[in-house]
Amino acid sequence: MSIGAVAGRGKDAAIVALAVLLAASWAYFLTRPTAQAPELLTDPDVLIIGMDISDAVSLDPARAYELTSCLVVNQLYDKLVDFEPPDYSEPVPEVAESWEVLDDGVTWIFHIRKGIMFTDGTPLTAEAVAFSLKRVLKLQQAPSWVLTQFGITEDSIEVVDNYTVKIRLGRKVAPRIFLSCLAFTVGAIVNPNEVKAHEKEGDLASEWMTDHSAGSGPFILEKWERESEIVLVANENYWKGKPRLKKIIIRHVPEPTDQLLLLEKGDIDIAWSLTPDQIEEVRDKVGIKVVSVPAYEKVYLGMNVGFKPFSDERVREAIRWAIDYDAILRLLKGGAMKLQTFIEKGIPGYNPDAPYYRDVEKARKLLAEAGYPEGFEVELMAPPTFPYRDIAAIVKQNLEEVGIRVRIRLVTAAEMYEKYRKQGHQLILARWGADYPDPDALAKPFADYRVKQLAWRNMWYDDYAADLVEKAAVEMDWSKRLKMYHELTEYVLHKGPYVILYQVVRQVALRTWVENFYPDPSFFLLDLSRVYKERVYGYGGA
Amino acid sequence: MDLRAYVLRRLALTTLVLFGVLVVTFLLSHVIPADPIGAILGPQAPPELVEKLRREWGLDKPLHEQFIDYVCRAVRGDLGRSIRTNRPVLQDLLEFFPATLELATASLMLGVLVGVPLGTISALRRGSWIDHAARVFVTLGVSTPVFWLGLIMLMIFYYRLGWLPGPGRLDPYMTPPPRVTGLILLDSLLAGRLDAFYSALRHLAMPAAVLGWYAAAGIARITRSSVLEVMRREHVRTARAKGLLERIVVLRHILRNALMPIVTVIGTTYGGLLEGAFLTETIFAWPGLGRYSTGAFLYLDFMAVMGTTLFIAVIYSLVNLAVDLIYAYLDPRVRYG
Repeated sequence: MSIGAVAGRGKDAAIVALAVLLAASWAYFLTRPTAQAPELLTDPDVLIIGMDISDAVSLDPARAYELTSCLVVNQLYDKLVDFEPPDYSEPVPEVAESWEVLDDGVTWIFHIRKGIMFTDGTPLTAEAVAFSLKRVLKLQQAPSWVLTQFGITEDSIEVVDNYTVKIRLGRKVAPRIFLSCLAFTVGAIVNPNEVKAHEKEGDLASEWMTDHSAGSGPFILEKWERESEIVLVANENYWKGKPRLKKIIIRHVPEPTDQLLLLEKGDIDIAWSLTPDQIEEVRDKVGIKVVSVPAYEKVYLGMNVGFKPFSDERVREAIRWAIDYDAILRLLKGGAMKLQTFIEKGIPGYNPDAPYYRDVEKARKLLAEAGYPEGFEVELMAPPTFPYRDIAAIVKQNLEEVGIRVRIRLVTAAEMYEKYRKQGHQLILARWGADYPDPDALAKPFADYRVKQLAWRNMWYDDYAADLVEKAAVEMDWSKRLKMYHELTEYVLHKGPYVILYQVVRQVALRTWVENFYPDPSFFLLDLSRVYKERVYGYGGA
Repeated sequence: MDLRAYVLRRLALTTLVLFGVLVVTFLLSHVIPADPIGAILGPQAPPELVEKLRREWGLDKPLHEQFIDYVCRAVRGDLGRSIRTNRPVLQDLLEFFPATLELATASLMLGVLVGVPLGTISALRRGSWIDHAARVFVTLGVSTPVFWLGLIMLMIFYYRLGWLPGPGRLDPYMTPPPRVTGLILLDSLLAGRLDAFYSALRHLAMPAAVLGWYAAAGIARITRSSVLEVMRREHVRTARAKGLLERIVVLRHILRNALMPIVTVIGTTYGGLLEGAFLTETIFAWPGLGRYSTGAFLYLDFMAVMGTTLFIAVIYSLVNLAVDLIYAYLDPRVRYG
């Protein structure tokens, strides 16, 4: 045996040993222990949330329109009315103690609660309410349409006395719609003194309010370091009672796997955006719980009726029969639930009807009847991220089995909206969330082409549906209104240009010591003022 | 030509380059059929609002007018306002750049400290086990996905062993030192805050190691080949024949002559690191330039795209200039010609 061979054998042995060592250390380091001690590991008075906060643009209520911004703004300000989690069925009084609608149906009188103070000690009066709403109308930023859609102008908001405000709407509207909109963060009441003190070049202090708070809410903004953290401290004098937490730190943790590690380690209390797989993984771990709520958000396919094959109702129906809805639900694990009509579960008017399932024969037959026995070719536009990318693949496979050839085009948001707004798509995979928890928030975009939203973008110019949307919006009788929405959802389900794929289920993982946390089905109703941390186990792992 | 004239000429040339960069970026970002306003406002925004904001941002003007507007303002140091963050682009850049500068500098230091000696030794001991080990180190360094490496490191050193803190720049309960430079390490020293300095250093360790490995790999590879090449030259043989100490041969006759390509690769590596590293920043929740510029590009936030590109181009030019000056210092034959 030559020396080289011996050396070779030694090298082999070394490589084998190294591989074994690597595998062993891999097994040791990367399998995470299943149980973590349930003692409270973080400061009992401080709640730490791990989430991606890079979407936040401005914490000025007149500008805030992204998930993070609205979530934070809702902790800093009060609104005339609010919803009381976890009950989102009816708007309840907040700054407005009571209200009345005069007989004309357009004049609203709000009676302002006495004794509310802004965090600087100034009393909140009717003047502040009027000032705040007018400020939104003057600034005209992204969320302003939530108010302007009622035809409110600066002149139509009037201070009657110190604690009474009169608002005249441009037209009659069902009371619940208007109240739901006032519960959106754009309706937050800001402190006029602070605004005036920080105004620059007539910007109504918008620049200052981007990262300062001037409200009467349960928390005060301490600081916002972009892409690092947002810190809120309790408003000790909050009129509804001192918040149970002293501080909330929202840490920027963009990567879900990091959120998972931090949560398991006990360095954060709430992991905001774990993937469905990760949620499944932590669900049964000691010391961690998962709370979920059906969100006001859905994912759908939009079929542009201007694209010839889709102009035939039978083709749209065929597509609805071709999709494997259950496969999509399986892909998203607990992150999705069945929904086929356009009003989500949790919003009044929800219609649980879900007649469609995968039936290849039926789909083929309908296509043949419509004159496409050989199918056709279509382009499917979708965002390049999870889960859209994966859903697009399922849709492609489903449609190809009934003879429709699909070209998938993954595009960024900027490109997608450019096309969609110009009716430039054929088939599109997109999501939609309700801006206020009223059926009207969904009926308008999905069924009324006149508001130039989804129905218009998909060139579905259906006057029957559009008329019904308008009628329902001014119907003062609640039960009649609900009946109309039932009819509308059924109609759009079968005639409309959509395939509604599922409703998003929001799942949040948190440490078991966090109490009173109700996940928010929307993106502006989260209430952290009553959240607290259970102290039984003591701080520091006693 | 003296040094000052040389630097001035280089700066003048740089201005031309920057103008070119601007033209190309502007054209590219405006040719793509996309709607930044629409993307930022989201699917819900009513069309009238989109139109109104488009006018407000001047996106309805003809292309050449937009460009002239932009250049005129850029010359005065006004990089415009980001559509996405609604703040002056320069303010955004200055907010995010220090985190990147800190991380890039630490990574480069690690890269140089490890890469140069490793490359030199593996060249001098060519074919030895050190050389082989170095090759494995280099190959892994350039080929391991940063994203994966970062997560594995977090899993081991933060989650399992608990030696190092999780993602972020500072402990969440810690009050950061007052912002002077934005470099937390420096700011905490200026404020005499040793606790913050220590915390920041510990937070910096993992991301710097991830990027530092990548940097070291590139530097070691170039160092090795450059040293090997110089070793074959006749002056080295002469030096050895004169009976000089091996240490002197290596330091004075080999390494000094091998430095030019090494300085070049260090310069380009630094430039690259200063651009920001999106994946590393994401994994370690590092508020750097990489995430900002990627966000700008994804939303096609024109002003931020152009501002960032210009900013990075300036940094590259400065690094290049520094490299050239070091050349001249190292090699008397290279004068400012």
